[in-house]
Amino acid sequence: MPTANTIFPIHGPVDLLTRLDSPDPETKLKALREIKNQIIGNRTKKLSFLKLGAVPAVASILSSYATQSDSQLVDADVSTSSIIVQSAAVLGSFACGFDAGVRAVLDAGVFPHLIRLLSNLDEKVVDASARSLRMIYQSRLAPKYEFVQEKNMEFLISLINSECENVTGLGASIITHSCQTSTEQRALCDAGILKKLISLLEGSLSQKNATLESLAAVFKKNPEVISKFVGLENERAVESSLSQRDSSLESPGTVIKNNTESVFKFVGPESGSALSSIIELTKDRYARTRLLACMCLVVIRNASPNYLQDMGIKAKLVYLLLELLDDPGQVGDEASFVFSSLVAGKKDLQQLAFENNAINKFCNQLQKSQLHPKRLQGVLLALADLCSKLESCRLTFLSLKVLNQVIDALTHDCADVRTSACICLRSVTRSIKNLCAGYFMNEMLVIPIIRLLDDPSVSVQVAALGVISNIVVDFTTRKSTFIQCGGVKQLVQLTKSMHSTVRFNALWALKNMMFLADDRCKEGIFLELTGSLLASLISDPEPCVQEQALALVRNLVDGCIKSIEYVFAEDGTLLDAVGRQLHNVSDEVGIQGMYLLGNVASGNELHKEAVLQQLLAQADNGAQSFVIKFLQSSDSRLRTAAVWVIVNLTFPSCPGAFGRLVQLKNAGIISQIRNMVNDSCLDVKLRVRTVITQSMTFGDGLT
Amino acid sequence: MPVRVEETTSSSSSSSSASSQLSGHTSPPVCTLLTVGQAFSGTQNVSSLQKDEAWRVNVRIQGCDLDHGYLCGTMEALNVPMADTPVVTFWEGEIVDGKNYTFYTGKWEALSEDDIRHWTKFPSFQPFLEQVKVDGGKSLDLINYPYIFMRWKEQYFVNVGTDCGLTIAGFYYVCFSCTDGSINGFYYDPNSSPFQKLELKSTNEGRSGFSFSFYELQ
Repeated sequence: MPTANTIFPIHGPVDLLTRLDSPDPETKLKALREIKNQIIGNRTKKLSFLKLGAVPAVASILSSYATQSDSQLVDADVSTSSIIVQSAAVLGSFACGFDAGVRAVLDAGVFPHLIRLLSNLDEKVVDASARSLRMIYQSRLAPKYEFVQEKNMEFLISLINSECENVTGLGASIITHSCQTSTEQRALCDAGILKKLISLLEGSLSQKNATLESLAAVFKKNPEVISKFVGLENERAVESSLSQRDSSLESPGTVIKNNTESVFKFVGPESGSALSSIIELTKDRYARTRLLACMCLVVIRNASPNYLQDMGIKAKLVYLLLELLDDPGQVGDEASFVFSSLVAGKKDLQQLAFENNAINKFCNQLQKSQLHPKRLQGVLLALADLCSKLESCRLTFLSLKVLNQVIDALTHDCADVRTSACICLRSVTRSIKNLCAGYFMNEMLVIPIIRLLDDPSVSVQVAALGVISNIVVDFTTRKSTFIQCGGVKQLVQLTKSMHSTVRFNALWALKNMMFLADDRCKEGIFLELTGSLLASLISDPEPCVQEQALALVRNLVDGCIKSIEYVFAEDGTLLDAVGRQLHNVSDEVGIQGMYLLGNVASGNELHKEAVLQQLLAQADNGAQSFVIKFLQSSDSRLRTAAVWVIVNLTFPSCPGAFGRLVQLKNAGIISQIRNMVNDSCLDVKLRVRTVITQSMTFGDGLT
Repeated sequence: MPVRVEETTSSSSSSSSASSQLSGHTSPPVCTLLTVGQAFSGTQNVSSLQKDEAWRVNVRIQGCDLDHGYLCGTMEALNVPMADTPVVTFWEGEIVDGKNYTFYTGKWEALSEDDIRHWTKFPSFQPFLEQVKVDGGKSLDLINYPYIFMRWKEQYFVNVGTDCGLTIAGFYYVCFSCTDGSINGFYYDPNSSPFQKLELKSTNEGRSGFSFSFYELQ
């Protein structure tokens, strides 16, 4: 039970800072100790000391005593060492899990002194400096350590090889923080760091954890390094595995040593290898170690799908991560993120997780009040990944009635949470069955989502556009809900954004909105967009934007025949822009452009003639018509789209069909079509036959 | 399209597992006439012993995921005697691609004999009969065949309540022609008149040609 401290009075921050200035080393030391004790784990205290300038004061003490210690040829006296140790500890505490503290420590210029103190003769000084540096290296604000340079690599290796636990931990933390490129991963691998890291997996708790994190950094997206790691034997594990299996075999170790393949055959792909050390740590008694071991295995599996294919391991990872989610602290917060990277894009794992009640577990988390933003973000992302592919997951999610909690998260203070809520909704709204029922088009969802289009964060805007793109594919008559809430105006504004991702996504949403829209809806969107803006978007510098703009117009001119007139507005600027754009475009853009022209060509005589002129315009200039290029494309989707235009231009019972057929023949387009009667794609072949059948109605039209 | 509830009808629609998505199969057949937004119209013969009758039917494809053999849309029955307005239902389809789905239904009260009896009504099915008897058509290469076989199962009423006196308990055996987009189908429900024929043609909605709209989910 806590009691009042009557022996040692607690001093206020101002008083303690005054004491730091004392010339008496003993007073200084006591003040440092007291500051350290007050700020450990107390963010508020850290902040109040920070505001009073405690960090530069402590940094100055450390710097001056460190210099003093350097100049002493023998061990520094006890008080010098103690003051260095205490000031390093104070600085480390300020940096621990507190970015403002890290920034203050770095600004105080004490970092080089801490590094230099790692070579101090006093073990306690070395330990305290290493511990303090580790705290700094846990922050993304820490400076990157360029270990690819030879001298720096030597220094890093010396840290990893140290006998001091905090120094090896520091080495691992430096790797975690600074190893970002495949060149750096390879450099560490070539320097033999992997072998040393494997041995550290058998060290203390803090060494194990720091090592697992650093291994994940070295493995990330690098199958080459992973393959080398898996090839390395954890000799102790191999020996133990072998002795357990068959003691009568003649020196199996000799056969297996340096022969990974044999190890795999003999003890299975995972056991006995370095990988087994990590797998083993998923059973560790400490939750953080289990989490980090899982993270390492997930990184390995994502980079090298050949490893960890065994269903048992997959199921175990799913089970473990779901279990770790129950941890009320940081481990539980981070478990969702590791889970996400395990299942993201992998239907088999999503199915496995679904069967293990993952949706229910994450939804239960959402139902808890006052979740830490990090946890909320992680849970939303995990649900997003789970619902990204499987309808069964989406239906379960919807049945658990947590949609309101996700909608609430759209207005969360933290931008990362808002983004994650959008990503989650984007996955859930992929349910065609529910879209068809108009389930998502209601003001409760639409209003907050539209508000996010004004969000100061571009990531939030883009994520919100993703949700809108899905919910506006509404087959009921509820598209008006979106328009009434001001959604179209906002989307049109965003098509003028300077960020091409925003323009692209805003057009995507408008394109989907235009799909099977009624005349009034189309008119409303077109009035807001205008023909000239659409024409400029069709000619946007970014091909992905061009593609969406063309697809939008394709949908605009579908449906009621009078909607074709939109492309002739403003003196036909829109149709001219399409024709101009198509002479030099990618297949994807070409596909949308040809369907657009095909839809226009399904109209009346004037419409058909206008399309024909666009097709022939290039040929008049002496260049090959883009339609011939598209008909010869290796992409069957583009060939199909191009043939449909010709089908519509030669559609029977239209008065001008024969004349158009002759012009198409003269431009070499019909002979190209004839060459395609045995196209490898059935759809192309059938449409080509349609053109030929239609032309037969004009007798010798083709010959 | 819903049919009249007959006295013996008892079961309600069971949910199809359209998304029991398998992976690693080859590309499914592709036909532009069977893509989202495409519309079809025609009739369904609902004749009984007492009376010859056909209801006008419109169909619209609303969702399509060929990788998973999945298709969905709405079906509108226009001159339903006991309804004041056209009756719209939402249906989900299984495309027989030999990978996601075979010719054998394995649910909805359809035995393999029922399957064979219905599929053989389509002349374009004849070449597959023997192989289907062996393995349901798993080993057939349907990718370049100009007909697509499907099952359409109505899932819910869009604009009327379940108490409208109609049932959607059965499902359709469907054969789609890639050449002209025509659709033939047979409604199967052990409790309804057998072999109610569905005949639909691709519509161009007043246009002189074919028009295609499209959407993509994010």
